[in-house]
Amino acid sequence: MQRYIVKRFLLMIPTLLGVAVLVFLLMRVVPGDIVQLKFTLEGTGVSDEFLAKERARLGLDKPVTQQFVEWMWGIVRLDFGKSMWTDNPVTAEIALRLHLSLQVAIMATIVATLLSVPLGVLAALKQDTWVDYAVRVFSIAGLAMPSFWLGILIILCLLIFFQWLPPMFFTPIWVDPWANLSQLIWPALAVGYRYSAVATRMTRSSMLEVLREDYVRTARAKGLWEQVVVVRHAMKNAMLPVITVLGLEFAFLIGGLVVTEQVFNLNGLGMLFVESIARRDYTMTQALVLLTGFTFIFVNFLVDLLYAWFDPRIRYG
Amino acid sequence: MGAPPQETVLPRVGTAPSRLPRWLAAVIWFARKKPLGTAGAVIVVLMAAGAIFADILAPYEPLATDYAHMLRPPSAAHWLGTDTFGRDILSRIIYGSRTALLVGFGASILGATIGAAIGVASAYFGGRVDLIVQRLIDIVMSFPIIVLALAVVAILGSGIVNLTLAIAIPFMPRIARVVRSSALAIRETPYIDAARAMGFGHGRIIFRHMLPNVVAPFLIMITAFVGQAILLEASLSFLGLGVVEPTPAWGLMLRGAAVEFAERAPWMAIFPGLAISAAVFGFNLFGDSLRDALDPKLRTG
Amino acid sequence: MTMKRFPPRGRPLALMSAGMIVLACMIIPAAMAAEQPKAGGTLTFAVAAEPASYDLHRETSFASIHPVAPHYSLLVKFDQWKYPEIEGDVAESWNISKDGLTYTFKIRKGIKFHDGSVLTAKDVKATYDKIIFPPKEVVSAREASYEMVKSVEAPDDQTLVFRLKWAAASLLANLASPWNPIYKADILAKDPHWYEKNIMGTGPFTFVEHVKGSHWVGKKNKDYFMKGRPYLDGFQAIFIRDTSARVATIRGGRALIEFRGFSPAARDDLVRALGPKIKVQESPWLCVLTVAVNTQKKPFDDARVRRALSLAVDRWGGSQHLSQISIVKSVGGVMRPGYEAYAATEAEIVKLPGFGKDIEASRKEARGLLKEAGYPQGFGFTFKNRDVKEPYEIVGVWMIDQWRQIGLTANHVVQETAAFTKDLRDGNYETGMDFACDFMDEPDLQLFKYVSSSKNPSNYSKYENPKLDELYEKQSRTRDAKARRALVREFEKIVLNEAFTVPTLWWHKINPHWAKVRGWNALPSHYLNQDLADVWLAE
Repeated sequence: MQRYIVKRFLLMIPTLLGVAVLVFLLMRVVPGDIVQLKFTLEGTGVSDEFLAKERARLGLDKPVTQQFVEWMWGIVRLDFGKSMWTDNPVTAEIALRLHLSLQVAIMATIVATLLSVPLGVLAALKQDTWVDYAVRVFSIAGLAMPSFWLGILIILCLLIFFQWLPPMFFTPIWVDPWANLSQLIWPALAVGYRYSAVATRMTRSSMLEVLREDYVRTARAKGLWEQVVVVRHAMKNAMLPVITVLGLEFAFLIGGLVVTEQVFNLNGLGMLFVESIARRDYTMTQALVLLTGFTFIFVNFLVDLLYAWFDPRIRYG
Repeated sequence: MGAPPQETVLPRVGTAPSRLPRWLAAVIWFARKKPLGTAGAVIVVLMAAGAIFADILAPYEPLATDYAHMLRPPSAAHWLGTDTFGRDILSRIIYGSRTALLVGFGASILGATIGAAIGVASAYFGGRVDLIVQRLIDIVMSFPIIVLALAVVAILGSGIVNLTLAIAIPFMPRIARVVRSSALAIRETPYIDAARAMGFGHGRIIFRHMLPNVVAPFLIMITAFVGQAILLEASLSFLGLGVVEPTPAWGLMLRGAAVEFAERAPWMAIFPGLAISAAVFGFNLFGDSLRDALDPKLRTG
Repeated sequence: MTMKRFPPRGRPLALMSAGMIVLACMIIPAAMAAEQPKAGGTLTFAVAAEPASYDLHRETSFASIHPVAPHYSLLVKFDQWKYPEIEGDVAESWNISKDGLTYTFKIRKGIKFHDGSVLTAKDVKATYDKIIFPPKEVVSAREASYEMVKSVEAPDDQTLVFRLKWAAASLLANLASPWNPIYKADILAKDPHWYEKNIMGTGPFTFVEHVKGSHWVGKKNKDYFMKGRPYLDGFQAIFIRDTSARVATIRGGRALIEFRGFSPAARDDLVRALGPKIKVQESPWLCVLTVAVNTQKKPFDDARVRRALSLAVDRWGGSQHLSQISIVKSVGGVMRPGYEAYAATEAEIVKLPGFGKDIEASRKEARGLLKEAGYPQGFGFTFKNRDVKEPYEIVGVWMIDQWRQIGLTANHVVQETAAFTKDLRDGNYETGMDFACDFMDEPDLQLFKYVSSSKNPSNYSKYENPKLDELYEKQSRTRDAKARRALVREFEKIVLNEAFTVPTLWWHKINPHWAKVRGWNALPSHYLNQDLADVWLAE
């Protein structure tokens, strides 16, 4: 097992390196530059010398290879550089938003779990009845509705029916839990519903598979009490893929809530991502991609470990 | 029920009333067996009809501005109201289905085809090629879809063609991975060994013998991706990075003014969103049932 | 959701809210005039973006001005009640020599920095040396505006002298620039970059904190040199990026004002929701959307084709419609309409191509010009625009529709702002939506946009015309207002006839704010009048 863990862990390194190279190149290929954007954005005329001076200050006049080497060397020393826009360390900028993004991701995952597990199990038990159909329609509708649109509708309803709007800026939960939750519950609902759809479908199908096993069939035929026991047992076995799906989605939620954050005015990582790309803030974008890439790869790694732990054949395979 | 996949694609004619053409029998079988899927198919067909006959169905020119009738609520003249330029929302939704289908199908077919080719090639060659391709797939997959699409749009610029490409690229590794695992199974069969022994070229083996056998997962993924592509198109257009004004497109219709005027003109925000949801809903329902029908493992007796 | 829950409420409500605005505009100022300012309270305001650095000498964004300006004083500043008149700030009085080459300022006594040290002319000199003659590694965004300055001298603690190379009309206004807060000489001598991340001024408010990603707090400066000011105990700037969120913040009373400006829709919503609690200030805005035409691309090398593009645009009609859905409204030439000293009057402007009130006649002329140039059937071209809905895309859609009516087919290419800016600056476009925004009405600033490309990187049309450059320089050195105005008219006529870059519509600034915010007059620029010294809260 240990050897397997070490081997899988080491495999993460080349992937991350590849992510780093790819994002570095992508950013250099994207047309436009931060200095020009920043100083001409509001329609003021500035001279080319001014722009050149500012570019030099950010190190953008150096050859690309040198920029890459310096960036990599920084990363080795865990120095991710400064945001080219704000001149703050990128780690500080990320830390600023991580709390919010993490909290929304956790809340959305809770919403998704609470919705998907009972609904999925129910649908599997009542397969091909109206209950099953209703659950599937509900979950597919969740996948179909753009979460930003759902967000707009939520805001619209709150505004029209309750004359109330969620707070517009972030309060940490330990400062004022009520203000915090009344802001974040809405995006969590909008996103959680969407993500519950995938998990519901996964719960349903893996439950179905387990239910089809002979011992379960026999037990179900016997009587009510047995049935309860077995369903519980079956659920345990069916949950692994569901946990996988939830875990992978969680990884995406941290950096991927781009549009929803916009609708709810959340100052999260997704928004920072879009802003950094739009501003051509190289250092910031690179760090963010590394962060989300790392999260994704690491969650995958955990999922693999989980499987290996449940199913010893994998490690030796 | 353990029927082999070849037979389940088109069910035995005998199960349907006799003398009917094979395809009709298949349709009837599908409609009986999969009511939800049929509902989805109906939505998809309606949408396609809207796209094809937009010129006849739409009551107004989708681009015609009419400043005298800005922000009008739904009425007999404008069933779904008008937007900030006085354009008819119903007409723009009908024409918008063209954009949605174009980008939806374009991106998923493009992405799925290239992805499938990569997946099959990776499985076929195996060894080092497979290892490298798998790492590359890992790398691309660790970017969130929307972020990757954003970067591609930033490089190529917006517009329908670039948008299609931007959406297709994140699909490729996902499809490659699924197709690869199906292809791996086929690669081990004596059938491919025989083909190799007979000295067929790589290209011929891949295209003639392996590709046809991964058609089922390929089709399933395409239908699953059309819905996703439409959603992604809407999201990118909403962010201002997709289709551009004045092209009628659903996501674009939700951008900016729709939110700003949400209270005064909620019809601007509600109807395009309904159109997106209905379309994706239709594709997903249909795709789901199609998968159930094509994938015997999930079928129940 | 059914229609019944959203009753159609288009026209009557719009009328009602328009009525309320008029009412609000009429009643409140009248009631206010007699009121005594009241001290106390904290002003919360919303800002759309967060400052990148705190050093206004190098920044160009309002996002820096709004939170930073209350901490600083200027040498002289625009009088908010008598704009564009100038009043002293740290300068008590000033004197301009007859030949216009020497400006002598008397600096007030007893002005203290927030650390308690005393401000002298040396601090002002150090400040202006940094702005006009920046050290090599320091960037100064508006260095070029002070080209005429030979030297800045501080012969004693209370006297500051600017010596000029030539007499310039714009120097005093440029010294009232909101971008030139007075810094402390000692600090600048140690580290010219210190002010990028720190605050140390003589302004009405001292710096408390900047919570990144959230807000900015300032506290009353008890030692402020103006007796009895500021009225407020403090201010809090809240950073809210999203437009509708900013409107909602005002609506919910979580912020009382936003200084940049809102859309007409937001104004109407606020007035409808809050009635007399909201006061609306409106003014023509010192920002203009222009169409840049790349004169190096065929057929736009032909002035007739360019003029046809401008003639096709129904500015007066557009003003009427677009002002209901967007922040554009005023029709004007190269200077902001409403700027009495130098802008063309309506009678003057309607004589220029593209500004006539008979749009059918203009379009006929445009078709004639196209025919003459060899395009009787019209032609197709690309129109690049930035991916910002309000007002760029909205006006873009309108322009394309205008061109369609003389047989021209423009393909709307909406780009990300960074890519768009680069393409325009590199000349990689045919036509594009350009815009200019300045911090004060001053021909030197507004006309510069049209000076030959070789001298001016912000003229994206690649157009060259020595005659324009000569006129520009001449007006800049003409101190007699009447003579200068004539030169500006002459300049404007060439620009609009050559049509390499033409104004479409000027922006319209709408500031709905809580009526209890008093003592702040909306000026035509959102960069001006931000020290908040005179602002007070009525209860």
